Order: sequence, then C-alpha cells, then structure tokens
Amino acid sequence: MEKKKGNSIPGSVLSSQNGLLLVSSGLLSLDPLLGDGIPVGTVVLIEEDLRGLHSKVLLKHFLAEGLISKHSIFVASQDVNPSKLVKELPAVIENDVESTDNSIVANDKLRIAFRYENVSTKPMDETKNKAIGHHFDISKNISFSDIENSDIFYWTGQRIETELNNNSFLNPSYHDLLKSIKNRIKDGEFFLKDDREQKTILRIGIHSLGSAMWLPPRKSIHGHSQDLHMFIFCLRALVRSAHAVAVITIPSYLYDEESIERCIHSSDIAMKLQSFSGTELEHNQSLQDYNGFFYLTKLAAINSLASKHPGTAEYVFKLRRKKFNIEVLHLPPDIQDDKDKKPSLMCGGGGNNKLDF
Amino acid sequence: MVDPRKVNQVLAALKINPEDQIIFIKENSFADSNFVITHLFKQLVYDKSNICFLTLHNTFDHYQNVGKKLGYDLKQVVEKGQLKIIDPLKELVDAIDLEDSSAQQIIRCLFDCIQTQINNFLISKESLVYLIIDDLSHLLDLGIDVPSVINFTNVCLNLTSDKNVCTIINSHVGSKSDLLVANNIQYVCDVCVSVSPLKTGQSADITGSMLVQRGSQQNKFHYKAFDKGIKTFLPGEALYK
Repeated sequence: MEKKKGNSIPGSVLSSQNGLLLVSSGLLSLDPLLGDGIPVGTVVLIEEDLRGLHSKVLLKHFLAEGLISKHSIFVASQDVNPSKLVKELPAVIENDVESTDNSIVANDKLRIAFRYENVSTKPMDETKNKAIGHHFDISKNISFSDIENSDIFYWTGQRIETELNNNSFLNPSYHDLLKSIKNRIKDGEFFLKDDREQKTILRIGIHSLGSAMWLPPRKSIHGHSQDLHMFIFCLRALVRSAHAVAVITIPSYLYDEESIERCIHSSDIAMKLQSFSGTELEHNQSLQDYNGFFYLTKLAAINSLASKHPGTAEYVFKLRRKKFNIEVLHLPPDIQDDKDKKPSLMCGGGGNNKLDF
Repeated sequence: MVDPRKVNQVLAALKINPEDQIIFIKENSFADSNFVITHLFKQLVYDKSNICFLTLHNTFDHYQNVGKKLGYDLKQVVEKGQLKIIDPLKELVDAIDLEDSSAQQIIRCLFDCIQTQINNFLISKESLVYLIIDDLSHLLDLGIDVPSVINFTNVCLNLTSDKNVCTIINSHVGSKSDLLVANNIQYVCDVCVSVSPLKTGQSADITGSMLVQRGSQQNKFHYKAFDKGIKTFLPGEALYK
C-alpha cells in the first residue's frame, strides 16, 4: 500500500492505475482476476476445499513464485512440516506446458461457426499479461540448490513458551506466530520505514490456520474463533507496515459463517475453493472437466473507489498432471443423449393408457 | 469552488448538514461503505471543518489516493492542521511483543487521544469539529468485549453534547456482536446510512444499495462504483449505455 518511484524490487510491478506495488500470485490464470496481481501490504485469505488439497496447491504456487523472484519466505503450518511443504514446491518452466491443446483448436477450420474463426479462444486479459509471474510444472519439484540459496524461515509451532498467561490470545501459538513474523520483518528490515538498499519482499504463507491442530490448551470454542479474528487483524496491521504479502489458508468448514465473515472483513482479498469430490456435483456430466468452483469473495478497493472484481462470471479450477488452472465456467451445449430417457412410441407414453390404439 | 453538495451525487443524496450531529454508516456483509466517508471528506474539506480521524481499516495512503480522485488533497489538510489522524495499528505492531495490553487500556488510550485532539480543536478554532471512526467493529477483533465497545461509543457520542462537535461512525456488520454494536448506535443516531450488497447477488450495472434514514424519513438509492467516482440512482434508474 505504498508508492514507489522506481521499480527496483524484483518480481514486482507498479500498477499505473492506483500506484500499488503488485506481486504475482504464482498462477498466471489467477493474476488477471485480482487486477494483475496481489498488492504488497495485503492479506489474502483462502478458504480451503474440504480436504485442503487444492488450496495447498495455490499456496505452493505463491511460495514458488517467491523463490523464483528471490523474495524472502516465511512458511508456517502446524498440520504438515513446513520444510516438507517447501521441498514439494513446483519447478519453474519456460513455457506453458498444456497450452498446446488450445493451438490445435485454433488451427481447426470452423465450418459452421466460421464467423468466429478469427476470434481468439483466450480471454483478452491473458494476452496482455505483464512480465511478472512464471509457469510452473506441478509434476516436478523445485531443485535443492534453489531452496538452499533462498532466505526461508520455517515456523512449526513446536517451541512455544507456555508461561505467557496474561496474554490477550487464548491460544499461545497464535501469539508466537505473530511474534515470529514480526521478528522476521524486523531482522530482514522489511518495514516501510527501514531504508534498506536492496529492497525485497517477504512472502508469508500460513497453511491451514486454525485447523484442528491449533486448538487452545483449555477447550474453549468461542475463544477459538476470537483468536482467529484477532490474529488476522494483527497480521493485517503488521503486513501493511512492511514490504510483505501474506497468504493464509483456513479450513473454513470448521467455523460458522459469521466468524469467517469477520476474517474476510479483516483481509483484503478473499477467495474460496469448493471441490466437487465427495459432493453430488462429482458426477455432473457438464462439470466433469473441472475439479471445483472458485469464488472470489472479496477484492478490496485499495487506493481506489471501485473494486477490480471481475463481476458476475463464474469460475472453476482444474488440477491437471502438470498445471493448476482457474478459468471461466463454460457449460457445454446440452445436446447429449440422456440415457435415462427411454423413447416411447405410444401417444401419452405410459403403460396404463386407457386409449388402446 | 462550487459547493460539492450541489454537484456531487452522493453528497446530494446524503444531504448532511451541521445539525446532523451523529452520523452512522452501517456496512452490511460484503458491501464496501468506504466511499461514504471519502465523499463526506470532500464536504468537510470544503467547509473547512476540523477533523479527528481514527483509522482502523484503511491506511492514510488509501484516503490520500482516493481523495485526489475526488478532488481534494488530505496531505494539505493535515499540513494546515485541520486534520489529525489517530492510527492505532502502528502502535499495535509495536505492542505485539508486549504481553500485558488489556482491552480496557486500549479503549482508555484511544479515548484520551480523541478527547485531547477534539479539545485542542475546540479551543483554537470556531468551526465545527468532526470525529470520524472508520470501522468501529475492528475493536471487537482486538478482543474487546461488546459492553466495552458500546461504552466506548457512548463516551464518544457524548462529546456531541457540545454543539460544535459531530461524529461519523462507520461500522461493519457481519456477526451477532457487530449487530449489537450497530443497533446501539443506530438507535441514537441522527442520520443512518446503510450500505448493502444487492440481495440478488452481483450485477454489472449496480454495485449495491444505500439507504439513508433520517428519523422516520428514508430514501433508497442504488449506486455504481467507478474508478473516479460513484454514481447514484433511484431504484429502477440505470445508466444509459
């Protein structure tokens, strides 16, 4: 949320419209939806899908993009070992792996809808995408040398002092995490007031915040979501005073809607993943190409009156072997034969027909 | 310079005058009511009122940028000494290391800050003094309980016993405790502006609805947010494309 004169920070771009410093989310299909990238100094909240599989992929892309752009990284999780999470980051590649199928379609001569032959199949935003962001291959892991040469801080929640009692957080791990982030920002001189020569950005990735592993020592269900609200609000205060971006994933199905809404209110960008697996949508024929719905719940208007929210389009995500993609939902034309409908020769159809021809 | 109340659509819809001492902006679920405050700034800057501004949600940079789009420069107003900003989030960052910061203390500090600022304004100048709180509901996020927040608003609203002091409070309503706080202020306010998203979901032509309540009189508007300004419509009206 701060104005910079020159674009001296690698992996970032200055938005000409509202003077925001933007970084890529790591997914080239997501950046245009967010208004070309995530503004520095903001908190992004991702509501996890039921098993947290796809939200983890999103988080990994965010962190991998940071590694490639030589940003500093802070990873926190109590569910998985953060160092394992970093080892599984996707590898960067030069070109888009799975864009070949698009070109085949383009070469095909359209016979019926020939008027649309010259219309590009890609949405407009994708073609004019700026230089930030890379392509990643999920099937390959990032090389060890990349990890070793980067500035990564892991937080596991292991070494928590239990003697803090007069703290405002019921659960000491939230406080410990907040303190670690602050110390990291302080040590790395990421504060806006710090005048560091080579400026870089701290990417904070918090995986599965407030999951079952985060329960406070004394069981108090009300205090649990209160801690979450306070944590996100404090994180917001912290992040906006520094060259930092935070992405948190939350298993939102563990909380009621109201407490999640408060979390969304305190964050700047909020999105939600809803996977089809395990639901009745799994067998829906028109959705079989996709893995789930992607909702952009909130896109705050920062430095501007109007939010850049893309509006009414519905989005879906799909996880393929090498690529995670978010795209506009296109329902196929309803011309398939329905197997359940049996053709009936008789007038009126039913067997108990009183008219006998 | 022309009176913005006559030119600007939002301000014309709000019709705020110096007799409205308690102005409440209620932000329902996913709506964004920030534009009401940024527009009111335009009027206050034109009137040369003194402003004490408690920011809990957006940064000053945000207001400065939006202000430039709407045609005023907040930094100049700060330099003239007409605007004082209280930004507790800066202190919050410093307080993360400290273990003993109780809710009562935070509230007391905030109020002391506000009171000294307003008294300074009242002594030195004759014109109106506005206290603006942007997002009161964030106090709940800080772990302050509902009675203390309501108590805080009461003390703030009591400042308006001086005829020259007005308050503008913005509060988000998402959960039950937010609603308690909001209902409390709505009960005592002179003007209540509630900004809500459309019930039917999203629309390309309209961003949301704004209901202006003044006593028993109420006016409903639809609004559309553009990068450079806000357009308001009566329900049923639309932009001709």
